Amino acid sequence: AMIKVSLLKQEPTSRPITLEGVFAGGSAGYAEGKLMQSHPLSLCNTSEDDRQETFFISIVKLESPESKVPQCLPLLDKARLALQRGAQAVIFDITDDPGAAQELRDSGLLPRPVVLVKSSDAEQLMGLVNKNEEAKVFIDIMMETQKWPHYDVGI
Amino acid sequence: QHKQVTGVSSQGCQGGCQTCSVYNGCLTCKPKLFIHLERDGMRQFGVCLASCPNGFYGTRSPDRNDCIKCGSECDSCFNRNFCLRCRAGSYLHKGKCTESCPDGLVPSDTMKECV
Amino acid sequence: PGAAVPGKQCPSACQCEEDGILLLVDCSEQGLSSVPTDLSPLTSYLDLSMNNISEIQPNAFHNLHFLSELRLSGNHLRHIPGPVLQGLYNLKVLMLQNNQLERLPSEDPWELPNLLSLRLDANLIMEVPARTLSGMRSLRHLWLDDNALTEIPVSALNDLSSLQAMTLALNRITHIPDYAFRNLSNLVVLHLHNNMIRTLEQNCFEGLHSLETLELNFNELQEFPVAIRTLAKLQELGFHNNNIKAIPEKAFVGNPLLQTIHFYENPIQFVGRSAFQFLPKLHTLSLNGATEIREFPDLKGTSSLQVLTLTRAGLTGLPFDLCHLLPKLRVLELSHNVIEELPSFYHCASLQEIGLQHNLIKQIEMNTFQQLSSLRSLDLSWNRINTIHPDAFSSLQSLIKLDLTGNRLSILPLTGLTSLTHLKLKGNMALSRSFREEDFPNIRVIEMPYAYQCCVFGACNSYKAAGQWEEQMGSEEEDLQKKALSLFPVHADNNYDLDLEEFQLAIEESKVQTSIQCTPIPGPFKPCDNLFDSWV
Repeated sequence: AMIKVSLLKQEPTSRPITLEGVFAGGSAGYAEGKLMQSHPLSLCNTSEDDRQETFFISIVKLESPESKVPQCLPLLDKARLALQRGAQAVIFDITDDPGAAQELRDSGLLPRPVVLVKSSDAEQLMGLVNKNEEAKVFIDIMMETQKWPHYDVGI
Repeated sequence: QHKQVTGVSSQGCQGGCQTCSVYNGCLTCKPKLFIHLERDGMRQFGVCLASCPNGFYGTRSPDRNDCIKCGSECDSCFNRNFCLRCRAGSYLHKGKCTESCPDGLVPSDTMKECV
Repeated sequence: PGAAVPGKQCPSACQCEEDGILLLVDCSEQGLSSVPTDLSPLTSYLDLSMNNISEIQPNAFHNLHFLSELRLSGNHLRHIPGPVLQGLYNLKVLMLQNNQLERLPSEDPWELPNLLSLRLDANLIMEVPARTLSGMRSLRHLWLDDNALTEIPVSALNDLSSLQAMTLALNRITHIPDYAFRNLSNLVVLHLHNNMIRTLEQNCFEGLHSLETLELNFNELQEFPVAIRTLAKLQELGFHNNNIKAIPEKAFVGNPLLQTIHFYENPIQFVGRSAFQFLPKLHTLSLNGATEIREFPDLKGTSSLQVLTLTRAGLTGLPFDLCHLLPKLRVLELSHNVIEELPSFYHCASLQEIGLQHNLIKQIEMNTFQQLSSLRSLDLSWNRINTIHPDAFSSLQSLIKLDLTGNRLSILPLTGLTSLTHLKLKGNMALSRSFREEDFPNIRVIEMPYAYQCCVFGACNSYKAAGQWEEQMGSEEEDLQKKALSLFPVHADNNYDLDLEEFQLAIEESKVQTSIQCTPIPGPFKPCDNLFDSWV
């Protein structure tokens, strides 16, 4: 997945930052929206997020298993809950939760994109969040060159 | 006002936290305290409180205590469907906020209740 | 702090704020070990929470006649004698949660005639003797959750006829006796969740004429709580996470106003056919794993149902007039039964989701799903469907997800499927025809029986799925990844040559041919041509 980030409070001509991630399961697709952080505990059945934005993209920093954050829902259900609440897409920072990629591997039916980011790409996104720097995010599929552009079957 | 437990614990967390992180704030609270998810612009982080702020009620369970949003018309509530105090313009009667009072009762603006 | 206000002196460790002629005093979290002695008599709000107060001096509040709210939560209080709270005639809210109170005074009880809310949650209270609450007859809201009660304080509660909301959750209560709440005719909310309640007497809820919410979740109930039959005003009932095995006939005959019933996580095997009759306000009914259910429940008079989940039972069929009974149905989830034939869902005009996977359905008639213009998701996977009427899907203009995995289809009627974004046909081994891209103009995810059927959807432009993240990192494909980036020239420091407008144009174009995820992906051993047909 390709993630473009443009800061809302900078001059329009400044170049967007480009980051990389991977789509979860079959969720590849296009999305854009304002970046908004969601605490991992805000994506539980009992909790409610009080966001008023319309077009937003949720970013969730997943914590390491040692921090004992109650796992109220499986990651896939957390992603679905965020999308149900209006997120145009969900970005999971999995830097500290290596098991997340495996958990979201074959997540079939996701109505909108769910992207996994880590390391420097994740750090840049979370850095913006921590400084409350309003940003707009564009997500799209990074087209690959064909693996087998020309093949014939010889028998 | 709500009582955020101030001070800093050994792990660099806000006073009432049991565990925390730079980006998410409190992740778990010390026993009996409620975790509340505060929003500040694009940020959302956890704080640990002795009682939940206005507009939220506390739910206790064996492994965690949460602050949950009241119904929209409540200023404070016992649970999602039972208000303790109403927002301006509506009057409390048996846990419900209504703009008019049932027969036999009249609205009191000072008490924001049907009396 | 300690701003001097004429006639309203503010204690040094506190912050004060005027409220007309009265004073709001906040001394919270100041490390205080006792109540300040120089409180103004005009104090109406006093917050002493989160300090280290273990004892209150006898006359601490004796002249605070205007005090309306007193917060003492989060201190180390073990006992508060009656005289300490003497004279607080205007007190309406008293917060004592998060202390170490073990018992409340009963010989010399607290005299708080106008108190409305009393918080005693998260203390160590083992019992509430008779007369303890006799001085608080106006009390409306009582929190006693997260304490050490082993029984319902029946005698003490008898004095609280004004009570409207009470929680006794998170205690060690094991039994509810008859007439436990006899005088609580104004009680609207009663929380008893997270106790150890095994038995309820038949008349234990007598007297609760106004009760609307009853929570019995996370207890050890062995039998269905028949005592609820006297709760005529009940709207919300929860008894999930108990040990109940059966729901009797006419279970809710006394509760016509019920809107929600949560009873999941119970080993329910038997459900009386008439159990859920005449519940005109019920909008959700979920029954999972009740293996003894053979017949569809009789839902006469329960016409507002929007979500019906009845899975993993023994249903063999559905009533032909299902949609006359449940005209507002929005979600119907009947997976894992033994249903062979379907009625027409014609009159269920609001249906959005149907789940019939893992049944024994053989065919889909023309009128089965006729006129379901709101239907978005239809799961018929793992049945025995061999024929679908050509017009079966013709009126499903909102259908975006269709799952026919694991059936016996040789033909798929295409009329009405143009809005699909997700289509699953895997396992229909007789379905060998090749489709065309225009058959599914909005498709995004397809599972086909054969790889060659994916070629028409450009499946050769594969893209990285999450699962291949590990293989990709550090493997020889990494330079393939870098080569791919050449599509959008990138400098090492992540600054693009393209500026934002050009980038958005590029995205607009790429949206036109957003890639489709079709599996199985063709490859060297799963070529794009249907070898067998071409040889023949």
